[in-house]
Amino acid sequence: MSICTDAFSAPARAMADMYGLPDFEPVMIPHPIASLTQAEIEANIREIIPDIVRVLTGTP
Amino acid sequence: MEVYAERSWTDGLPVMPVTESYLSEFLAATGRSPDEVLLAMPHLDRECTVRTAAINAAMAGCRPEYFPVVLAAWSALDEEGYVPRAIWQSTTGTAPMLLVNGPIRERIGVNSRGNVFGSGFRANATIGRAIRLTAINAFGLRPHELDQATQGNPAKYTACIAENEEESPWMPFHVEHGFDAETSTVTALTMRSVAHIEARHTTAPEQLALDLADTIRRTGALIHETISACIALGPEHAELFAQHGWTKDDLRRFVFEHSVNARAALAAVGKDAVSGQTRWRLSGAHPDAVPDSVAGSDQVRVLNSEQALQIVVAGAHNSGVSAVIETFGPRGGPPAIAPIESVPA
Repeated sequence: MSICTDAFSAPARAMADMYGLPDFEPVMIPHPIASLTQAEIEANIREIIPDIVRVLTGTP
Repeated sequence: MEVYAERSWTDGLPVMPVTESYLSEFLAATGRSPDEVLLAMPHLDRECTVRTAAINAAMAGCRPEYFPVVLAAWSALDEEGYVPRAIWQSTTGTAPMLLVNGPIRERIGVNSRGNVFGSGFRANATIGRAIRLTAINAFGLRPHELDQATQGNPAKYTACIAENEEESPWMPFHVEHGFDAETSTVTALTMRSVAHIEARHTTAPEQLALDLADTIRRTGALIHETISACIALGPEHAELFAQHGWTKDDLRRFVFEHSVNARAALAAVGKDAVSGQTRWRLSGAHPDAVPDSVAGSDQVRVLNSEQALQIVVAGAHNSGVSAVIETFGPRGGPPAIAPIESVPA
């Protein structure tokens, strides 16, 4: 699986299309990362854990 | 022209429609096979062949006799190594800056004198553009899609200069790097920006060289631990150095030694250490921080070696103006120079 910030959703989808995987779903985390504190990053990660689980287990 | 634009086969400017017969004129300008691969981007599973490069050169407005220069540019970009590794997709927003040397400059009219970075010359304008159109059309590097540049830079339309060998006091750039003066070459410089040096005030080579070093060392350029640059000296500045007995290597050494930031100045902008993961500069207070290569030294060089600095002469002999081409990556090795195939007339 792939996790990227939402600023890169368009190139992430373009790459997936190019590899012939139009249904591939990259998990999005809010942008940015580099300028956040450790606590802010951890909060964002907690927010996307359900998406990670959903994509990994293939549940709708 | 509108069909090309509707299909996004353009950089935004109108492109030249290409017929099979016009394409054949380009392919006749080289002895290389149309199917030969010039550069591949394995991560995109895409490549550029001689034929694709020719179509885009024609669309860019090149004349067929420019095509060997375009081909050499692709060889130099491949050798330089950043393009196959996806640098044109990066947020940094680099562009290919091409430097042409040798007799081809006069033969096809590549400008090396006044307004060298500017407009007005078909060869400069279209050779650079040929590379960019190929990036868009052969590799699919369109903005907002696979080209993720945060801002890009104006050279992403076109950037091709020639060295003003005739008004340089030193040997031409390609001769300095082992080519015969009668051979024509293209050097590839993946670049981030061109910074202008205004220095009409001095006759002291040390003052001028410090002005150049001050631009090169700027902290905003530091993403990696060190940076690289190519000084495009105006002929008047080059002559000033030569009149005082400075060789190009003397200038290179002086600028290398003075392209330095105090540790405190780096700390003030939060770039006094590097990441243990990426080796990108960050604050010593960051959890990923490890000391840089010269930890303990109060004076921190921005160039890893004298070879990270190239020097060429370009522009008009009419004022004390030069430029620093900020190239991507730390570098330090020899520049990427490709000879231009000579095709019998």
